[in-house]
Amino acid sequence: MKHNKFLTAIIAVLLSCTLAACGGQAGTRQTTAVTEAVTKETTVAAAETTTEEVSEVAAEETAAEITETKTEVSEEASEADGASGEVSGPVTVTDMLGREVTLEEPATRVVALTASDCEILYAIGAGDMLVGRGTYCDYPAEVLDVPEVQSGSETNIEEILALEPQLLIMSTMSQTEEQAAQLEAAGVQVVISDAQDIAGVYTAIEMIGKLMGKEENAAEVIESMKTTFAEIEEKSGGDGSQSIYFEVSPLEYGLYTAGAHTFMDEVANMLGLKNCFADVEGWSAISEEQVLERNPDYILTITLYYGEGPTPEEEILGRAGWENVTAVKNKAILNLVDNELSRPAPRLADGAKMLFDFVYGEGAE
Amino acid sequence: MRSRSDRFSFIELLIFAAVAFAVLCLCVCIGSVSISLADTLSVLWDGVKYQAGWTSAAPEGLQASIILSVRLPRVLCVAMTGAALALAGGAMQGLLKNPLADGSTLGVSSGAALGAVIAIALGIRFPGLPFAGTMVMAIVFAFLSLVLILTLAYRLDYSLATNTIILIGVIFSMFVSSLMNIIVTFAADRIQNITFWTMGSLQGASYQNALVLLGVLVIFGGIILRRAQELNAFAVSEDNARHIGVDVRRVKLVILITVSALIGVCVSIGGSIGFVGLVTPHIVRMLVGPNHRRLLPASLFGGAVFLMLADLAARTLLSPIELPIGVVTSLVGAVMFVVIFYRSRRRG
Amino acid sequence: MLQVNDLTVRYGDLTIVDHLNFTVEEGQWLMVAGPNGAGKSTMLNAVTQGTVYTGQVLFEGENMKKKKAAERARCVGVLMQNHFAEYAFSVEEVVALGRYSHAPGMRSRSRWYAGSDIGRGGGDDRAVEDALALTGMISQRKQSILTLSGGELQRTFLAQVFAQNPKLLLLDEPTNHLDLVYQKQVFELISQWLQTPGRAVISVVHDLSLAKAYGTKALLMNHGRAVACGSAEEILVSQYLDSVYRMDVAGWMRQMLGQWTE
Repeated sequence: MKHNKFLTAIIAVLLSCTLAACGGQAGTRQTTAVTEAVTKETTVAAAETTTEEVSEVAAEETAAEITETKTEVSEEASEADGASGEVSGPVTVTDMLGREVTLEEPATRVVALTASDCEILYAIGAGDMLVGRGTYCDYPAEVLDVPEVQSGSETNIEEILALEPQLLIMSTMSQTEEQAAQLEAAGVQVVISDAQDIAGVYTAIEMIGKLMGKEENAAEVIESMKTTFAEIEEKSGGDGSQSIYFEVSPLEYGLYTAGAHTFMDEVANMLGLKNCFADVEGWSAISEEQVLERNPDYILTITLYYGEGPTPEEEILGRAGWENVTAVKNKAILNLVDNELSRPAPRLADGAKMLFDFVYGEGAE
Repeated sequence: MRSRSDRFSFIELLIFAAVAFAVLCLCVCIGSVSISLADTLSVLWDGVKYQAGWTSAAPEGLQASIILSVRLPRVLCVAMTGAALALAGGAMQGLLKNPLADGSTLGVSSGAALGAVIAIALGIRFPGLPFAGTMVMAIVFAFLSLVLILTLAYRLDYSLATNTIILIGVIFSMFVSSLMNIIVTFAADRIQNITFWTMGSLQGASYQNALVLLGVLVIFGGIILRRAQELNAFAVSEDNARHIGVDVRRVKLVILITVSALIGVCVSIGGSIGFVGLVTPHIVRMLVGPNHRRLLPASLFGGAVFLMLADLAARTLLSPIELPIGVVTSLVGAVMFVVIFYRSRRRG
Repeated sequence: MLQVNDLTVRYGDLTIVDHLNFTVEEGQWLMVAGPNGAGKSTMLNAVTQGTVYTGQVLFEGENMKKKKAAERARCVGVLMQNHFAEYAFSVEEVVALGRYSHAPGMRSRSRWYAGSDIGRGGGDDRAVEDALALTGMISQRKQSILTLSGGELQRTFLAQVFAQNPKLLLLDEPTNHLDLVYQKQVFELISQWLQTPGRAVISVVHDLSLAKAYGTKALLMNHGRAVACGSAEEILVSQYLDSVYRMDVAGWMRQMLGQWTE
């Protein structure tokens, strides 16, 4: 997920200005179409999912509209599952593209293409039902033992069918409809999971929980996330006077930051920190000068370290011209290396906690 | 008697240098963060005083950081990258007698990028010289690609027609991009580095980079400038060059190695920046004519100006967002490419 | 002046030039004739070391293979049949390139011209000036070669090779696509150039009348081999020509010319 997102973000920038770029980028050409599709479809999906399916989470915003559907959903659910929480009859969900998907009974063999959906499956205790995973799925470690299938623009239908899943969970992409039709003709149900914010993550967890017959576990996971978020939000008491800069790509490869409408931005707001680049949308290439001028109090970098040369923290501390930046002066740099804050998965809560500890915890001043 | 217009006159040199310098100043003064001209100049002056040892107080503060540590080294690197790429492009266009020949159209930059990606994937590093691994690999691969491309091209069509050049360039770039994908598959843990690297960025360019570029430009640029008359002969025709006594094989080899070194170093510092080497010599040729004694030095300055302006646009147009510099050059370059292609097709 | 011994050129299994022997002396104009594919142009290419060959090419007793490129160009100059210009060089710039072998690279330009020292770079300037004058290109010296007619372009390159001032001039069908006026002009110019002692010309021609009119010596080739070699009057006769071209050459020529008698 992370890398797809990476590419998506980059290509969105590229696309906006370079229809003409002939050289070099031929390989990424295909993905440009994806980007457009993603941006378009997610807006639609977001709107639709909130009204039809999401219950508590989005309630604050759209309470009035969804009351009706909410009752419908819960009635249906209580009819089906009974006291145990383990569902055995047919399951119907509306996925995050607004498509209605019905399974005869909860799935026992599932393929998930994105890292975040794999994480959700493990978090709700359905990890043993995962029979295939996308290329970049790497958490938890057990997931690496699951057979790998091509994902993204190279998604290979045959490869997936060979694993005989009942269900395929994937994110939005241009080929979705054709691929979905092909898979569904072969008896594999396709659901789209594509969370754009924390509320969306709850939706995804709930949806997957229902599909796998693990609704109770899903509810627990959501509850635990909410508790953590509520706790740190309450304890942090930040008033937005301190700022944080999220570094997604280091200087060597051109600075990228996470702007508005990213998980990092959402977590920063929760902690009462001001995202330095809240005026930028999504993941974006930004100017080095701007970082110096905006003078963040904290820096969070997600650069990976390969064990050679300076660590990402050291590299930032050593940058020419950055010595006057408050975060550099105070050595207030945090390196998160496991995608805690970049994937729409339960671990967002862990990432938020780590950032909280770093800013307000024992070690922090 | 015979006019001496085949030399780059001192006055022309002065004009080109003055324009390049003016653009350099402009690019240092304008940026994503706006700093007044007076402040910029005073910071620069403080920097000069400090470097010259007239004062022991190093310039401090946000503005000093931005101008002296961020903008100036970057603009210097951009200028020299532009100069090197334009010179390499000019030399190739002369050598192959084809106005569409250039590192990016032929796929040499992709080749160099492949070399650098391999260096990143395998973690090739020379102790003490952090950039040397990618740089050496980029140069070696640039040269190998050039040899491969030209061998192929000559086999297909000895006269190196424009169509052949483009065809080979496209095929080779596709070939390289598939090789890159293979490498990315095998080195999935470093994919982030590789992805960003191929995007190319002159952000974070240091004075150290600028020094490397200067050294390369002086040595290899010097070699190319000294071969102006031979390039004239090649630009008339390779057979004619042989007949008037040019050591065709040797000169060709020298130029190809030199061009590879220039492109390799530029790619390893700034990623593959397309079309500078194609567009600049073309525009400059309209100004000073095809004689390489004038064309090459003029391209040197022209390339610097072109890339500095492209970088300025990349830095400031969507501030605080920064565009990849290659996007800007490709935009201008692709349009130019079509114009040149159309013209040469019509004439041919 | 030029001695070719046992010259053979092979491309794979194909033998293009087959054990060829001939000599050219000062003041001679050797006409090389023969049907298409006889190996004439390839032979010229071998003389200028433009192709791989076996056998020997000796210039004034020295092996051409051992000479450096610039030295070779001071001995032998070439005028080709076609020129395809890509860039807008001026006539003058193209002609000046002929001086390359006298001062290669960026080194100081030649002081010498026609045996006398006329100051720094003077030799080059004078040679270019004379070549332009001789070929009648003075008035067009600043013109771009892209705008020249075929005949003017050929004269420009003729001027270049005159400026180069070689001892032996090789011409590969120099007037093939030129109209009669230019054809005459070019042959007259070369004939004039040959008047200076110490010079010789080899030209590949298709027009046997031209060969007969200007040549002092002739080499008739077929299938890469020398069919006959000797003075032009002896070689360019029906006895040899008819067998090589497989037709009554003289009869055809007479028939053609007959149309013009009134």
